[in-house]
Amino acid sequence: MARYTLQRFVYMIITLFIIATLTFFLMKLLPGSPLQNQEKLTPEQKALILKEYGLDKPVPVQYIQYLGNLLKGDLGVSFQYDNRPVAELISDRIGPSAQLGFQAIVFGTIVGLILGIVAAIRHNHWEDYTATVIAVLGASIPSFVLGGFLQYFIAVKLQWLPVAFWEGFKYTILPTLALSVGVIASIARFMRTEMLEVLSSDYILTARAKGISQAGVIIKHAIRNSLIPVITILGPMTVNLMTGTLVIEKLFAVPGLGEQFVRSIELNDYPVIMGTTLFYSALLILAVFIVDVLYGVVDPRIRLAGGKK
Amino acid sequence: MVEKILQVNDLHISFDIHAGEVQAVRGVTFDLYKGETLAIVGESGSGKSVTSKALMRLLPTPPSRIKQGEILFEGKDLTKLSEKDMQSIRGAKISMIFQDPMTSLNPTMTIGKQIMEAILKHQKLSKDEARKRAIELLQLVGIKNAELRMKQYPHQFSGGMRQRVVIAIALACNPKILIADEPTTALDVTIQAQILELMKDIQKKLGMSIIFITHDLGVVANMADRVAVMYAGKIVEIGTVDEIFYNPKHPYTWGLLASMPSLDHKDTELYSIPGSPPDLLNPPKGDAFAPRNPYALKIDYELEPPMFQVSDTHYAATWLLHEMAPKVEPPAVVRERMKRFADIVARKGGKPRG
Amino acid sequence: MMAKQQYEQLSPEWFQPAPPNVGEQEKINRPSLTFWQDAWLRLRENKAAIVGLVMIIILTLMAIIAPMASDRTYKDQNLRHAKLPPKIPVLEHIHWLPFDGRDANGVDVYKQRGVKEYYWFGTDDLGRDLWVRTWYGTRISLYIGLLAALIDLLIGIAYGGISGYYGGRVDNVMQRIIEILNGIPYLIMVILFILIFEPGIISITLAMVITGWTTMARIVRGQVLKLKNMEYVLAARTLGAPTSRLIFKHLIPNVIGPIIITTMFTIPSAIFTEAFLSFIGLGIRPPEASLGSLVNDGYKSIQTYPHLMIIPAVVISLLILSFNLVADGIRDALDPKMRK
Repeated sequence: MARYTLQRFVYMIITLFIIATLTFFLMKLLPGSPLQNQEKLTPEQKALILKEYGLDKPVPVQYIQYLGNLLKGDLGVSFQYDNRPVAELISDRIGPSAQLGFQAIVFGTIVGLILGIVAAIRHNHWEDYTATVIAVLGASIPSFVLGGFLQYFIAVKLQWLPVAFWEGFKYTILPTLALSVGVIASIARFMRTEMLEVLSSDYILTARAKGISQAGVIIKHAIRNSLIPVITILGPMTVNLMTGTLVIEKLFAVPGLGEQFVRSIELNDYPVIMGTTLFYSALLILAVFIVDVLYGVVDPRIRLAGGKK
Repeated sequence: MVEKILQVNDLHISFDIHAGEVQAVRGVTFDLYKGETLAIVGESGSGKSVTSKALMRLLPTPPSRIKQGEILFEGKDLTKLSEKDMQSIRGAKISMIFQDPMTSLNPTMTIGKQIMEAILKHQKLSKDEARKRAIELLQLVGIKNAELRMKQYPHQFSGGMRQRVVIAIALACNPKILIADEPTTALDVTIQAQILELMKDIQKKLGMSIIFITHDLGVVANMADRVAVMYAGKIVEIGTVDEIFYNPKHPYTWGLLASMPSLDHKDTELYSIPGSPPDLLNPPKGDAFAPRNPYALKIDYELEPPMFQVSDTHYAATWLLHEMAPKVEPPAVVRERMKRFADIVARKGGKPRG
Repeated sequence: MMAKQQYEQLSPEWFQPAPPNVGEQEKINRPSLTFWQDAWLRLRENKAAIVGLVMIIILTLMAIIAPMASDRTYKDQNLRHAKLPPKIPVLEHIHWLPFDGRDANGVDVYKQRGVKEYYWFGTDDLGRDLWVRTWYGTRISLYIGLLAALIDLLIGIAYGGISGYYGGRVDNVMQRIIEILNGIPYLIMVILFILIFEPGIISITLAMVITGWTTMARIVRGQVLKLKNMEYVLAARTLGAPTSRLIFKHLIPNVIGPIIITTMFTIPSAIFTEAFLSFIGLGIRPPEASLGSLVNDGYKSIQTYPHLMIIPAVVISLLILSFNLVADGIRDALDPKMRK
């Protein structure tokens, strides 16, 4: 187990390093610099500014400096927001995004699991068909479309909930719902498949032959064993969720990281784009790492054997 | 005669599938006596596994259904019990061991928990008492370091050890009947012998009856007191192990015996029964074995043969036993084998069992 | 056991030996179907997949024909005709359908402004015909889907095939590269590419070439590795079959199922990605139209002109849904074991 965790950890560090490097050299390729809108400066002033940003040194030196800054958590400064540090911009905006993401993943996972389990237990009955239809629709309708529809019908037409902004729990309901549908769809699908597979396995027959009741078999043996592989999709799920927040925050005017990211793209604010990209990547890689380790913890076959399945 | 512990009468089981009704079991009748081992042998698809699962009511419904017949156990008809009543019989009075020990244990639950689960379900014991009982059971099936092993997971056990654990689970509540569905098929030959010895040992100690499902006649000769031969969802011949091996009457049993490989038989080619079992979606008219039977009679294509009595304990369903039928001797290979079985028994110095 | 007496009066004639003709019963009486015939039969029985297939055909035909058949183009502006609600001949008389040319307040805008023409899906704030723009956007979505499938087939299969077939160190290095590529979130990669090059169809295409094939490569590699060690392949190899024969006769026919399934699932996700990028302003730029950018444009006036958002939103959802249904159906048809 320790070896396995270490191996995953090393992969995580390597991937992060490559992304950081990639981001740096992409920055160098990009047009635009702190001098963008300051044509009238004298060469001396320009040199001064370049020196201030450390841009007067050769690229390899800048690269080393950049990596050093990264380790200190310094992501550079924004071109657009009055030279504010990118790290500060991110930490200011992370709150609403985190809340939205957390609510969506919790709600989506619970509903998805229930749908998947019910569908598997009632295989080929109407409950199964209903769950399957919900899963296919949930996987097919883009979150920005669903968000738009929810907004139009529930907030504009029916006026049950606020249309946009972020001023309390009521405001979080529609964006959470829009974001969680994708989670519901993939968890329900996956859980159903896993559960059906487990239910047809020999050890379920052994459990039934012991005289355990149907409910006991499902709760003690089937659900537990089907849940383990479901953990693996939580990694990719975080990616989808992040993609989702970009559009959902834009749609519902949530003052989150995604909304800021989309705006910085529109404004060509490269340091913010790069910093946020790096931040997102780190977050996702960390999520995948945690999921991998968690998988090892839950599955005794990996925990005790120390290898990957 | 010894007490009958289980009576199966005219059991019919069908599976309703897309294309129609598959008649997997078509009228199976047998009794199980206290303390005996009854082997059910037959090719894959002969209905032996379906029959055994039906005794435990473990077949999924749908698609399967018990169409007709009864399974009498302790004065109750198991086919008519509610699922809840059935649960108090499963694991407590009738237990089952499955074919593949690699897949028949829950991979994410410790061995100890899996054994204790069966104990706690049926006996009013505290957790500590159940743990003690589980350790005893592991020792009974020959697992050393039982206390340590309790905390381990199935993947930390070898195939043979896992099958011992499966047996321990089945024995948790001292069942009256143990159904073993090809318990050694998935194991190495040396391990097979160990597991068979273990089962015989335990039967001696605990005195339960065993229904042993297998397609391996070598195992049958080793284990069984009586043998039922199944073909196409029916029992075609049933008798004591000696009757089946020394005096088989059904041409299908002849075929099975002839196709048994043996070491001292280098000169002849291994015999195989021509053709393949019938499609039970549309079972043929008359005797289902007729199209593969070199001794078939005209009547075999028209009428199903009844069970003809050969002796008090020996019955066979073939028209060859009818008084009007031509007298047919078993093929030479089988006759020779019959003789050799007799020799083996004579050499061992034992008298034929029965 | 059964009584013997009832059979007493049987005719001795019936007890004549009648051994079977052994060759006869080995005849196979069901017609044998090839793998593909069998799969097609199963697919045909899957109603959802057939509905999806029909919808894809309809949407594709509309995408091809509608912009050609109209005398307006996707970029023609006509400010006098701006912001018209949808109006379709015949359907305009069914009052509960939103195709009567009336706006949210029930005013017949066409009559009010004296517009004689019909705009089936209405117009946007620059007076561009939404009917043409929607189907033009569908073309872009279909192009992206097709492109993604092509990349999967070309790069993914080659990469996975080489990695799996040669194994050893080659495989090791190639797998590490994929692992790193997978560590970088796909969308972030696409966004970076789009920033370097200009937003537009070329950038999206390029980004897909770089990142879109990893899933396929992994699946093909897995299959090849598995098949390579199967007994029948080893048998063919021992019999001296040349590599090309091994690849074409044994590997490809067995890998083709998973390949088709993966390709079918790539298409809807690529269509989604493009719509998503266009929605956040990184994809197709005006005056060109993509379903994603149309939804985004429409969204700005959702309160007053909901049709501007709803129509392209419905089309993109239907498109992705149809591809998902067909993909599900094909998976079930090709791999009955995966059907649950």
